Amino acid sequence: MLHELGFGGMLFSPLLVLVPMAFILSAVTRLALHRLDLRRHIWKEAWFDVAAFVCYLAIIVYLFGG
Amino acid sequence: MGKLLRVGLTLLVVTIAVVAGSWVWNHYLYSPWTRDGRIRADVITIAPDVSGWVTQVSVKNNQAVNQGDPLFTIDDTRYQAVFAEARAKVAEQHSALELARHRYQSRQGLSDPQAITEQDLETYRINMESAKARLELARAKLEMARIDLERTQVVAPADGIISNLYLRQGNYVNRGTTVLSELKTDSFYVTGYFEETKLQMVQVGQSARMTLMGGDRTLKGTVISIAPGIADINTSSNAQMLPQVQQAFNWVRLAQRIPVDIALDPVPEDIHLSAGMTVSINLDSE
Repeated sequence: MLHELGFGGMLFSPLLVLVPMAFILSAVTRLALHRLDLRRHIWKEAWFDVAAFVCYLAIIVYLFGG
Repeated sequence: MGKLLRVGLTLLVVTIAVVAGSWVWNHYLYSPWTRDGRIRADVITIAPDVSGWVTQVSVKNNQAVNQGDPLFTIDDTRYQAVFAEARAKVAEQHSALELARHRYQSRQGLSDPQAITEQDLETYRINMESAKARLELARAKLEMARIDLERTQVVAPADGIISNLYLRQGNYVNRGTTVLSELKTDSFYVTGYFEETKLQMVQVGQSARMTLMGGDRTLKGTVISIAPGIADINTSSNAQMLPQVQQAFNWVRLAQRIPVDIALDPVPEDIHLSAGMTVSINLDSE
């Protein structure tokens, strides 16, 4: 379980790490879909990317967010 | 068909995202958790009951003591003298009473009614009663002197750990002025400051999981009480008894934080708790 990040005696929200994690995952997904030429199956690419990011974030918060 | 698949796939992912996103939103905003928790303990402030020089300090800072252990001693020469004086007063009043009694009883025994009037006899009796009362007074003063003398030795009121000890031998201490504090053993608990938006989800008896700042170990506990009130600075008044109402923005307000007390389950031996440490608290929802 990931809790607050202590950095030099200051506490930071775990979201500070969880959001970049979700962002990296959605970037990887985007890249993979692009390489596998699956992006043509997507209707609105921007909608899909944002939705994928939110889904990843929810999964990560559920797993590590305590 | 291909078009339908494309639209359907995207809409499916978007729908899942809406559900997941609202879950994350509720998780952060409306589930009962806070990062604003503090470890607390029962603190006893110790003040001497008599004034005087400190002749001996028997404890060190942060030392564990048991109930009744001597903490420090105050110079008792003056209190010894007061005690001796009070004891002498008792002896004096005792003799005075004996004398008055003797006078009364010897007059009472006279067979010749002409030798003493009724009025004189009554005066002797009253003298004896008053001597009796003066003896009681002297005894009470002796008891007070004894208590003062006894209290030149300050002892620990409970099992605990001495804290904030700046008392040194030779310091002059005043009656009723606190000179050190003691944290009661095993009295540690946690106070979580929950935002009022989350307070309706907090119930007495709810189980809580807590983590210390910088630690991965989870402490467990139970909600024991919710504070019935916090200070409202708008109710304070100025010298003319007018309320000092604070200015506020209309478009943004901060949630107040309400203290919630949480009793700790037995803490593992290797976790050190100090009152004042920061904890994050998660309450388990039913």
